[in-house]
Amino acid sequence: MSFDGYKTLIKEGDVVIVYLTPSQIYSVEALPKITNKKGNRVDNVFQTPYGALRCGDLIGARFGTKVQLSKGWAYVLQPTPELWTVTLPHRTQIIYTPDISMIILQLEISPGSVVVESGTGSGSLSHALIRAVKPHGHLHTFEFHEGRAATAQEEFKQHGLSQYVTVRQRDVCERGFGDELNDTADAVFLDLPHPWLAVPHAIRALKSTGGRLCSFSPCIEQVQRTCLALLKAGFQEMQTMEVLQTQWSVQQRNVPVVNLEFVRTEKAAGEAEKKERETAKAVVAVPPASLPGHTGYMTFATLPPLWARTLQMSLNETDIDAEGDAE
Amino acid sequence: MEIMDSDRNTIKIGDYVVVQRQGYTKLHKLKAHSKLILGSFNIEMDNIVNEKYSDTFQMKNTPGNKKHYILEKVQQINSPVETLNIEKSGSDNRHITNDNEISQVLTKEDIDKLKDEELNSNNIVGQLVNNSKTFSMKTEYSQEKYIKKKEKKYFEYVQIKRPTIRILAQMFYRQDPTKTLGIRIDDLSQILAYANIHSEGNVVLYDSGTSGLMSAALMNALGHSSTGQLIHMHPGNECQRNAFIAMQFPKEQSERCINVNLYSVLRCFYQQKNTFQEQEEIEEPEAKRQKTEETSAQKKSWQLDNERACKILNEKVDCLIITAKEHPVNIVKELIQFLNGNRNLVVFRRTQK
Ligand SMILES: C[S@@+](CC[C@H](N)C(=O)[O-])C[C@H]1O[C@@H](n2cnc3c(N)ncnc32)[C@H](O)[C@@H]1O
Repeated sequence: MSFDGYKTLIKEGDVVIVYLTPSQIYSVEALPKITNKKGNRVDNVFQTPYGALRCGDLIGARFGTKVQLSKGWAYVLQPTPELWTVTLPHRTQIIYTPDISMIILQLEISPGSVVVESGTGSGSLSHALIRAVKPHGHLHTFEFHEGRAATAQEEFKQHGLSQYVTVRQRDVCERGFGDELNDTADAVFLDLPHPWLAVPHAIRALKSTGGRLCSFSPCIEQVQRTCLALLKAGFQEMQTMEVLQTQWSVQQRNVPVVNLEFVRTEKAAGEAEKKERETAKAVVAVPPASLPGHTGYMTFATLPPLWARTLQMSLNETDIDAEGDAE
Repeated sequence: MEIMDSDRNTIKIGDYVVVQRQGYTKLHKLKAHSKLILGSFNIEMDNIVNEKYSDTFQMKNTPGNKKHYILEKVQQINSPVETLNIEKSGSDNRHITNDNEISQVLTKEDIDKLKDEELNSNNIVGQLVNNSKTFSMKTEYSQEKYIKKKEKKYFEYVQIKRPTIRILAQMFYRQDPTKTLGIRIDDLSQILAYANIHSEGNVVLYDSGTSGLMSAALMNALGHSSTGQLIHMHPGNECQRNAFIAMQFPKEQSERCINVNLYSVLRCFYQQKNTFQEQEEIEEPEAKRQKTEETSAQKKSWQLDNERACKILNEKVDCLIITAKEHPVNIVKELIQFLNGNRNLVVFRRTQK
């Protein structure tokens, strides 16, 4: 229940983030006992590189404090969508925070927004979407895989977020988002292998006063087909981007300084040779040696309100011709 | 909500609107008989009043004054690529010398005259094509490119949009990145995410000059009809509020942003504890109470804002964001005391050392 609102004390059943180092972050449940794979009740003990953590002992501790481990200590933190993204159990490929942040800003999501998402996958993006729309907005998330839909639903409940999200199991390319969502959404997000098939359904779900759409695809061929579908449907402000996060490493370096002054005058007798090469100490930021990995292309577009759609469609026609020629 | 929504879709006097012409956008406060200068065009904005957001308008020359344009709502736009009938194209560019001056027969004055007679991109592009010595030698592909380029230059349509954080962030960055401390849209999005900004909690922002973009983005993410509050600390006499005002938040929402001067709010926090800390519950004599009420009525609004802010700081906040021109270390050191445990701190600075 620890995802909804700021919390001070850890309660039984809360998800707790165990933070050791920036690359060693885990999530545990504050429960004394859990059921193991064989179906037996056993003590809930989490093994860390710095010793074992009895998760039951966390109950009553304050979020943000240190807990003692046999060979060190760890911080126990309240989960945020960002911490959840780096610790969640993967059931699919997931979207990471740099992309997620861009998606939320570009889709213009704020408290009160109604958002449609498909597929739910591992719920990495969903958690951030829920945070952005609550308390009076709602997330409708669609997943056609039975197990993933059920697990996501269960997870939202355990995280205390059920009231802000509805999970539906459905193939959205074939069956759309359902009539009950017609003309309700401020934004639609697609992370599907064939997003262009869902575009007509997205248009029905978006409000007649217009809205924003994002499609996330790893391959540029998917992007092209989606863009064409969006153009034909009368979307505007289309933009495809990729967010690459690089980590600069901050280092103390000795930088050799070449001194060329001495060549101008004759060396005085007895002057030391070493003055000619000096070093300067500096703190420098070093860019990464290799380019950061590609995650996916995000295509954003605006569906104009009903009253401006026909005009936009006629404007898009020349672009569609150009795209058609290029193919 | 329904009434509010339909109201929000109508363009009204007093609104801040975004005027978009091709890829170019400009923020404009709509007053009665207001004019907007958009590139080389001087546009009277009256005709957009009571029309709807996302509507498209054509810039039309006014009969008396050639340099002035009025706006006329349109339902359809014809692109010159379609209306032009291109008969001949070359197969490559071997005969083309790259000299615009020579290949174009029309002089700048000729084109200006065309523009002043009627701003009609189809017509102007058509004339440019007909008077180009090299157009028919260009390949089909570069003909299209040429037309698109010229069409863009003489495009006579604008669209009116409501400002959003996305539009403002992109517009400010394109116009002059130094006015928003170089914060790009990806920076902004990540500041909001890593700071865990959502509808509840209290946020402290120290911002030394993003034209109000930071406070607007934060208030937008804290949302309407919610409990989140923002203390916006700034170094000057007046805080920068351009983007914040442009967002036209409902009163209830914009009042949850408290703008205070960094030095003056800290002075209040250290030196005037009595003004914001809970007083012990002693029965005050009637006369004395009246007197204190009077003095509080005489207080300047900035003093009251400082006190309101200090009351929140005293209880500690959930998030501290620093977007500073200055070296941030001392600011962080001072403000970190107000941050609750297990909460988020984000520091942004464009430059590296
Ligand atoms: C890459 S995952 C989404 C990951 C998610 N964005 C996250 O951050 O955790 C894509 C999901 O879409 C689901 N999916 C694919 N096609 C679908 C369809 N037509 N209708 C509904 N769900 C679909 C898949 O089962 C998969 O779980």
